[in-house]
This record gives sequence, structure tokens and C-alpha cells, in this order.
Amino acid sequence: MNTNSQLDAPPLELRNVTKFYGDFKAVDDVSFTLAAGSICGFLGPNGAGKTTTLRMILDIIKPSRGSITVLGRPSALEVRQRIGYLPEEKGLYKKMKTWSVIAYFATLKGLTRKAAKQRAYELLERYGLKDFAAKPTEALSKGMSQKVQMLASIAHDPELVILDEPFSGLDPVNQQVMEEMMRDMAARKRTILFSTHVMQHAERLCERILLIAKGKKIFDGAIADAKRILPRRVRIETDDDIGPLRQLSGVISVEPVGMPRGAAGPKDLTHWELQIGEKADPQAILQLCFARGIRLRGFNQTDPTLHEVFMRLVGPEAREAAFR
Amino acid sequence: MRFAFLVAWREYAENAKTRGFWIGLFMFPVIIFLSISVSVLLETKGTPIRHYVLVDQSGQFASVVESRLDKLTPPAQPGAAASKAPQRPFQRAATPAMIDTNADLDSLARDLKPWLRGEKNVEANGREVKLDAAILIPREIEKQIVRPRARLAGSTAAGNGIEYWSANLADTRLRDEVEQAVNGEIRRREYLARGLDSAAIREVEQTHAPFASLNPKKEAGREAVSGVDIIRQWAPSGFVYLLWVAIFTISQMLLNNIIEEKSNRIIEVLLSSVTPGELMMGKLLGIAAIGLTLVGAWMAALIGALSWNAGGAPGITGQFLLALKTSNLVPMFLVYFLLGYVMYAAFILALGSVCNTIKEAQNYMAMITMAMMVPLLTMTFIPKDPNGTLARVLSWIPIYTPFTMMNRVNADPPLIDLIGTTVLLLASTAAALWMAGKIFRIGILRTGQPPKIVEMFRWIKG
Repeated sequence: MNTNSQLDAPPLELRNVTKFYGDFKAVDDVSFTLAAGSICGFLGPNGAGKTTTLRMILDIIKPSRGSITVLGRPSALEVRQRIGYLPEEKGLYKKMKTWSVIAYFATLKGLTRKAAKQRAYELLERYGLKDFAAKPTEALSKGMSQKVQMLASIAHDPELVILDEPFSGLDPVNQQVMEEMMRDMAARKRTILFSTHVMQHAERLCERILLIAKGKKIFDGAIADAKRILPRRVRIETDDDIGPLRQLSGVISVEPVGMPRGAAGPKDLTHWELQIGEKADPQAILQLCFARGIRLRGFNQTDPTLHEVFMRLVGPEAREAAFR
Repeated sequence: MRFAFLVAWREYAENAKTRGFWIGLFMFPVIIFLSISVSVLLETKGTPIRHYVLVDQSGQFASVVESRLDKLTPPAQPGAAASKAPQRPFQRAATPAMIDTNADLDSLARDLKPWLRGEKNVEANGREVKLDAAILIPREIEKQIVRPRARLAGSTAAGNGIEYWSANLADTRLRDEVEQAVNGEIRRREYLARGLDSAAIREVEQTHAPFASLNPKKEAGREAVSGVDIIRQWAPSGFVYLLWVAIFTISQMLLNNIIEEKSNRIIEVLLSSVTPGELMMGKLLGIAAIGLTLVGAWMAALIGALSWNAGGAPGITGQFLLALKTSNLVPMFLVYFLLGYVMYAAFILALGSVCNTIKEAQNYMAMITMAMMVPLLTMTFIPKDPNGTLARVLSWIPIYTPFTMMNRVNADPPLIDLIGTTVLLLASTAAALWMAGKIFRIGILRTGQPPKIVEMFRWIKG
């Protein structure tokens, strides 16, 4: 039975969690809390410690230090019926029927056999796999298999869903389906923590991201806050001298973008990127251009992408991990 | 424990659907059925009638040979149709017309070779048949008879004596019958020639002192050793083999199962739903249930086939059935099967958890298989001395306890052996499961190269 304190507790809370493998520190003093009903992206380069953290959350492995509270309990296994998990390495029992795999995992999460079977068919129908319900899973394509695994991990309608790289190996259409599934769950006030390398998914789905590198948390906050880490940019296209813009207040830097075909030197540059401060007004740049007679062929104000933020924050780490 | 049962149920249900399970289930009963029924069938109905030609140039022995072969005709079944009347197993065929039966044996044999090689057929009962054998009795057989004193005096004529020609070297029944018929007649005449009463001699030859084998461990008044007792002593060896096959088969099944889950990457999802202990226990129970189904079906088939074939008759199958019913073989088999399986399953679970492919597992499995060969190699020695040093030493080695004690079960082993080895086996199995649990917990999530044995010991200690 859930006590009031358990019901009030955040779905997930990590306090100073550290994990050693021998002398290697895979996770280093990570703390964070998830709010109920949120979708949180867990980002980081390969080898950053994401999967280890997720496994510790699920109590598959124990942290060396620190504590984890899941749905108000000190071990995820105590509330396993309320948690759904899709691991990074995905697989199914090849000879089992599709409905049967989903039902089996649902029974392991506390559903009765009858309810699990009913739920399996319901989900397969909803996500367009009804015709494959009675087929062995080895007959499914990779995308279908991954959908089935996702369905198996949420068949018991968990309150907390942990997805490790849910989009890996999926084509754009199936990625879209996966996003819809996650939005469906969020709409029903389920809490989702998912790891990904694809920043666009995080940008589209999350209100909040957690970024770790080399086992350490390096960012925890809203996506908008993450983007503020990098200056905003204004891109202009002109044949005229843009020197006056360098002196404008709020302009941090002016850099050429690319080199047009046949360009022999700086005089031939036509595309420029201006990085501007948080409080700078892009309209002021436009006004100065008119005032100084700079004829513009193009003017575009863009915010930094999450990908750029990621590359800025963990770029060197990511490159290092790729060669490790 | 509920989750362990859920895992066990899946293991049972999914393994019971495999082709291998059904082949295993039916293979043993089919072998039992074939070995009991078909051999009898072949013996009674399947053995073909053999045809021979008999050339008795001496004119002295043809009738005694025929008379003896007549006695081999099986008795007629009451109420059977005349067409089904039993036939003599050896039928005399007419000597081919072009054969000169008065020629010397060398020429006769040479002339008969095309028939004996199957190139030509002879005639018997109005049909053309294949000639299986030729029995040639020379005219001067009297001179070739070997008499001990005459041989010493050098008065026995040279020669092969009676010649038995046949390309079939395996079936010697006809040859034996002819030899006994002819020599019996020669001896009868010899008695007469020496003025001895052959009937009296036969009586003397049949005079003997009764000789009984008695077992002091049997109930007073029933100490006589019967055929059932002999079977009861040797039957455990058969059960040891069955035990070995059963444990080996389902251990392989368990190994394949773990490797499949590891290589298919299902293990991590499972471990988010059940603890490693529950997963291990579920697998152990599920595969044990599969094993029990297999051996249960085998036992039922064995007893069923014996009951059906024996039909209350005191033949070998009847005696075997009686031996089974009057001993603890079947219940002890089930006990040792379960204990032996759990012991070996602990090793299999540990090694399966650290390997990612069957190929990797084979390296470790080779060690277990080699260790498992010992009971097979000693299987036939132990019933000869079931309470001897070899049997007792092997009984106290836990990995061999189930096999060795199964082999000794009908030999009244000392109580200390019976209880002590079982307690030791239980304790060792518990320890093996505990160690396997330690390795399983770490190994099951491990990828890459399997660990070294030393590393696994570190996991156990840690």
C-alpha cells in the first residue's frame, strides 16, 4: 500500500550517486530529481555513464555511493509493477508469439494472465501491429520488434518509464511513432526519463534535459536555459562592408560564414554571423544597417540548437569517447 | 517467489513447445518398444526359413539329422488356421538334378557353389528358393571319426569329416544342430559297439548334486537367488545411464536457454522485473519441470511396455517388471535425478551467465562433460562390487553421488553411505547454488570476453 509520503515523493530522486567499476569511476556524484508527469531527456556522449545510471535507478546494479529513491521507495524492485523499462540492448524471445511476449512481461509486472493478454492485444491494435499478434517475434522487422519491446515495457501502464536510447535503429517514420507513444504516456501524467543521442528528439519531447559527461552531471534544467548557454546569432548576407556592426553594443563577435565560390579574399565575403548578447536587440542591428547604408540580401535571427549546446558542452568528451 | 514461478512457467511452456522436447519425450519409449517388441517379433516371425541340401554318401545320418530338425518346429497355436501352421525353421531342398551326389566331396562342393553363392536357386516344396547351406557327409565318414585312442595310434583317416558349406557365417544354428545330431548318433553307436547301455549312460550323465545360490540378506526361507534378484542387481546400471542422459539433456537445455536470453539481450528487461535470484530459481524450476516430464514419461513408457509385453508371463520382461516393482529403483531414480540435476544446473547457470555464445560456453562445458564421463565409465564395475572401495569413494564425491548411489541402490549400501552421501549432496548443492547465484548476478549483465576462472572466484568471495 502506498503511504502518503510515498505518493507525495517525486517519482525519481538521485542523491550523490557514484559508481565504481574497479578503479574506474563510471558515475560521479550525480544528483537530480524528476517531477511527476514530466518528460526528461538524459543526454551524454557514449561512455558518459547514462546506461549505468539507468541500471542503478532500476536496481539492476547497486551504486557504490549515494542513494536512489524511486516512487518513494529505496529500491526500484519494491515498486517494479509501477516502472517500465526499455533497455539500450533490445531483444525478444524469437519463438514466442508477439502478444505472448508482451503479456509475459506484463505478468512479471503484476498483471493477471487474462488482463495481460487483453492488454497486449489492445496495444498491438492501437499501434498497428494487430496482424502480427499471433506471429513469432522472429517474423517482425527491426522497427516492429522495437515497437513491440516498447509495448512490452509499458503494457502494465507504469507511472515511471525509463527508456534507454528508444530511437536507436528506427527509421524516421517509426521514430515519429515512438515519439507519439511517449507523448501519449505524458498526456496521461506518466513520468518519462529517456536517454538519447539525437538532440532533435529531446528538443521536441522534453521540457527538461540532463546532460552528463565522464560520469558527471554538467547540465540539469529546461531546454530554454540550456540554449542560453550559447549566445544568440544573427546571420546577414551583404556585399557591403559590415565593419560598423562590430562596434554595436551587444554584438559579441562577427565571423564570416563559409567562402563563396570564386572568392579571393575578405572583400569577397558575403555571409556573416554575429553572436549577440542575451539582452541585445537584433532590431538594433537592422536599424544600424539601414543607417549606414549596408544593403542586406538576407537577415536571419536564430537561437542556438540543442545540438550546438551539446557539442559545446561535451564535444571534446564525445570525440575522446569515440576514439577510446 | 511468485515471479520465480512466472519465469518457471514460461520456461516450461516454451521448452515444451520445442521439437527437441518432443523428440526427447518419444525417443526413449520408442527405443524401449523397439528393443522389447521388435526383437521378439524378429525372433518369432521375422527369421526367414533357411534351406539346405543334405548329401549323405554314408547313408547313415540323414534320418537322424532330419529327425532332430523336425523337433525345432514350433508348436501350433490352438485354433490357428491350417495355412498358418508353424513351419520347420530349416527346410531340406532337393539336390539339383545335374549334381552327381556320388562324386567326391571336393567335386560336389565345387559343383554346388553357384547355388551356394546365390547365382542359382534350388527347389523346395515346389518353389524356387535360395540355398543357404549344403551339408556333405562323406562315404568314408566312419574312418574319419575321431576316437581318442585311435588318434593316438594314428589310425584315423585324414579329411574334413562332415562339411558344412554356407556363405552365412553369422547364423550357426543349422550347423550346430547337424553337428549335435550326427555326433549324438555316433556316440550312441559307440556305446552299443562297446557293449554299454546307452540308456544307463544317459541316466548317469544326468546325475548331479543340486546347487543353489543363496543370498544371506534375503528373508529367511526365501534366500534362493532368482532371476529377478540378478536383474534387480544389474537394473540400476540401466537407470544410471538413463539418469546420465536425462541430466545431460536438460543441462544442455538450460545452457541454451540462458545463452539465448543473453545473446537476445532480454536479460536486462527481465532483471528490471525480477531479481537475479528469482530469475535463476525460475529457470531452475522450469527446466526441472521439463526434465521431470521427460523422465516421468520415460518411466511410464518403460513400465507400460514391460507390463504389456510380460502379460503376467515369467519371461525376462516379467522378471524385469517384478524387479522394478519390488525395489526402490523408480523412486530413488526420481530423487537422484532431482538432486543431480540441481547440482549440475548450478554449474550450468554460472557458466551460462558469463558466456555470450554457445561457442564460448562449449569451452567450459567440455570440463563438465569430462567430469560427467566418470559415472559412465564406472557404471558396469560398480554392480560387481557395489559396496567396494571404488563405489564407496565415488559415492562420497557429490558430483558423482547421484550416479554411484543409484547404481548401489539395490545392493543394500551401509546406512552411513545412504544418509551421509545424501546429506553431503544436499549441502554441496546448496553451496553450489549459492556460488552460482553470486556468479550469475554479475555474469548475466556482462558482455565481451568471458571471465577467467580466477575472476569468477573473486566474484564469489566479493
